[in-house]
Amino acid sequence: MSGPTETGTALGFEGWLPSADTAPGLDWLESLRASARSRVRDQGVPTNKQEAWRYTSVKRLLEQGFVPAEDAITALQPEDIEDVLVPGLDTHRVVVVNGRYLPSLSSLGDLPSGVRIGGLRQILESDPDALRERLNGVAGEDQPLFAALNMAGLDDGLVVLMDRGASLERPIELIHLSVGMDEPRVAQPRHIVALEDGAQATLIERYVSLGESLYCTNSVLELSIGRDARLKHDRIQSESPNAFHITGLYLSLGQASRYQGVNVGLGGAWARNDLTVRFAGEHAECDLQGLYLAGNGQLMDYHLDVVHGIPHCSSRENFKGILYGKGRAVFDGRVYVAKDAQKTDAAMSNRNLILSEGAEVDAKPQLEINADDVKCSHGTTVGQIEPEMLFYLRSRGITAPVARRMLCLGFAGEILDLLSSDALREQVAEQVGQRLENAVLD
Amino acid sequence: MLSVKGLRANVGDKEILNGLDLEVGSGEIHAIMGPNGSGKSTFAHVLAGREGYEVTGGSVTFDGQDLLDLEPEERAHLGLFLAFQYPVELPGVNNTYFLKAALNAIRRSRGEPELDAVSFLRRMRERLKVLHLDDSLLKRPVNFGFSGGEKKRNEIFQMALLEPKLAILDETDSGLDIDALRIVADGVNALRSPERSMIVVTHYQRLLDYIEPDYVHVLARGRIIRSGGKDLALELEEKGYGWITGEEAAA
Repeated sequence: MSGPTETGTALGFEGWLPSADTAPGLDWLESLRASARSRVRDQGVPTNKQEAWRYTSVKRLLEQGFVPAEDAITALQPEDIEDVLVPGLDTHRVVVVNGRYLPSLSSLGDLPSGVRIGGLRQILESDPDALRERLNGVAGEDQPLFAALNMAGLDDGLVVLMDRGASLERPIELIHLSVGMDEPRVAQPRHIVALEDGAQATLIERYVSLGESLYCTNSVLELSIGRDARLKHDRIQSESPNAFHITGLYLSLGQASRYQGVNVGLGGAWARNDLTVRFAGEHAECDLQGLYLAGNGQLMDYHLDVVHGIPHCSSRENFKGILYGKGRAVFDGRVYVAKDAQKTDAAMSNRNLILSEGAEVDAKPQLEINADDVKCSHGTTVGQIEPEMLFYLRSRGITAPVARRMLCLGFAGEILDLLSSDALREQVAEQVGQRLENAVLD
Repeated sequence: MLSVKGLRANVGDKEILNGLDLEVGSGEIHAIMGPNGSGKSTFAHVLAGREGYEVTGGSVTFDGQDLLDLEPEERAHLGLFLAFQYPVELPGVNNTYFLKAALNAIRRSRGEPELDAVSFLRRMRERLKVLHLDDSLLKRPVNFGFSGGEKKRNEIFQMALLEPKLAILDETDSGLDIDALRIVADGVNALRSPERSMIVVTHYQRLLDYIEPDYVHVLARGRIIRSGGKDLALELEEKGYGWITGEEAAA
């Protein structure tokens, strides 16, 4: 175990664990959490000698001395969250504040039979057996540090359980809202979304904050998609510029199922995203799209681990980044094709637009192919705005800063166009536009 | 309107324009012809303000202003327009959005109010018809996935929309079949007016069958070596550039 000597925090990340256990006392849950606690202790603090942390230091994260966000914030009224809603977006809405599900702010609306949506704690108390196979069901016990921390310090979160053939017309919207406290807090929500065979849904996950406060969100999302099921998933992280954001997304795809995910990362000072994909049946399709912006003081770190362990599945990983000021990004994507996974069709792409000399990206896409009858490709580009494009716009009377912004929005548009609703797309495009307007583009 | 005197320009260490003189009055159409490598496109780009060309001598005034001192967008605001030989594809940039931004930028620079969405659409639709362009073009990204002919027509469409005082058409005929050429030429001719001048840069005489110039200039080795009326183009077509460039070399 490597000691966090440089930080002055003797406990390392163990300081994130709750002092008193507030979760329901269930034996199986206790055993999961005890095992997670020992994984936290065994792993210690990540260093850049570990491949997964080669480009990103956790020093800044550790130095904040985050403590668990233990109490639910119940004083918020519906009008307090109006500013974080998407105008015109009609959803089954679940609001989680600092890691805790708040029924008073949520509006689930009418749910058809076969669909359950609620808070993790609520369901652990009322019907724990519904979650027994689900908690760690996709993530497994062999989790990296932050997912283990999340289990050991389990707060609350969203649960969506859809029976065989169930479907929802309106999207499910998870708003994870962070409110700053006197002491910097870490919230560790865990969201469970399970679609049984043939179920269909759209999930919109939004990480937002009130104000520019300093806090950390260490979230884990376990998505299990049954045979022939379909999930569309938009994930928008637009947190406070001082926020630390950690996501562990675990996805399991059943036979002939389809998943399309659009990940947009705009906010936060330090954002680490680990996206893990496993195929559980043949002919499944996974489409992972991403857009990230990083400016002064921001780090956007994406790690993809896509394992094709089964034949006849396809995956697309398409991530684009815009970097400016002294923004930094990491894209570390791995597609692994097992020996028996013949007829795998996988394509990974990472393209970055760098607008300033001080910005930086480390891009490392990797393919590991052990089967001989597959179609796999990967590509990375890191470039600047094409001078011909800029000149073309300027020759039409458009000033250089506006022209640059148009080209950046055009670059981002390929990803934003895939968002599941017009209302959401408009809001996110507007946020991207504002960010670019504030960026020093000259 | 445009006065070019002794213009010299380099690309890298190589001198491309070598003392070029040209006077263009209001409403006139000037054709600039010349063999490959004579500096035709460089001249068009230097006028529009493209980076990568170093002006080493001479002057260009446009409506009394020193053009060489201005940014490309400022030249556009004054009423200069370049129809590109190779229009640039802008993936993700919606054509309508682009056209509206361009038109309103130019209107703002002239102190005119921005057009509202309805008047803008009406104006666009009118101009599209003249160029036999489909409405669907407006929803697509600028030039992205357009055929060669669509790109060239889109250039002239932009010109129709932006109503420049001086349009420079850089090899607008290249890559067009005869039908597309006729459509483009009709579009250009519809824009002829006593207030609008044009410089038509072309290698071949055939475009000038459709867009009849007032003057024809022959460019070789970076300067104009012969000027005349439209008959000069026909003579060039018949005898080839060797006739005139060889004559100059021998002189």
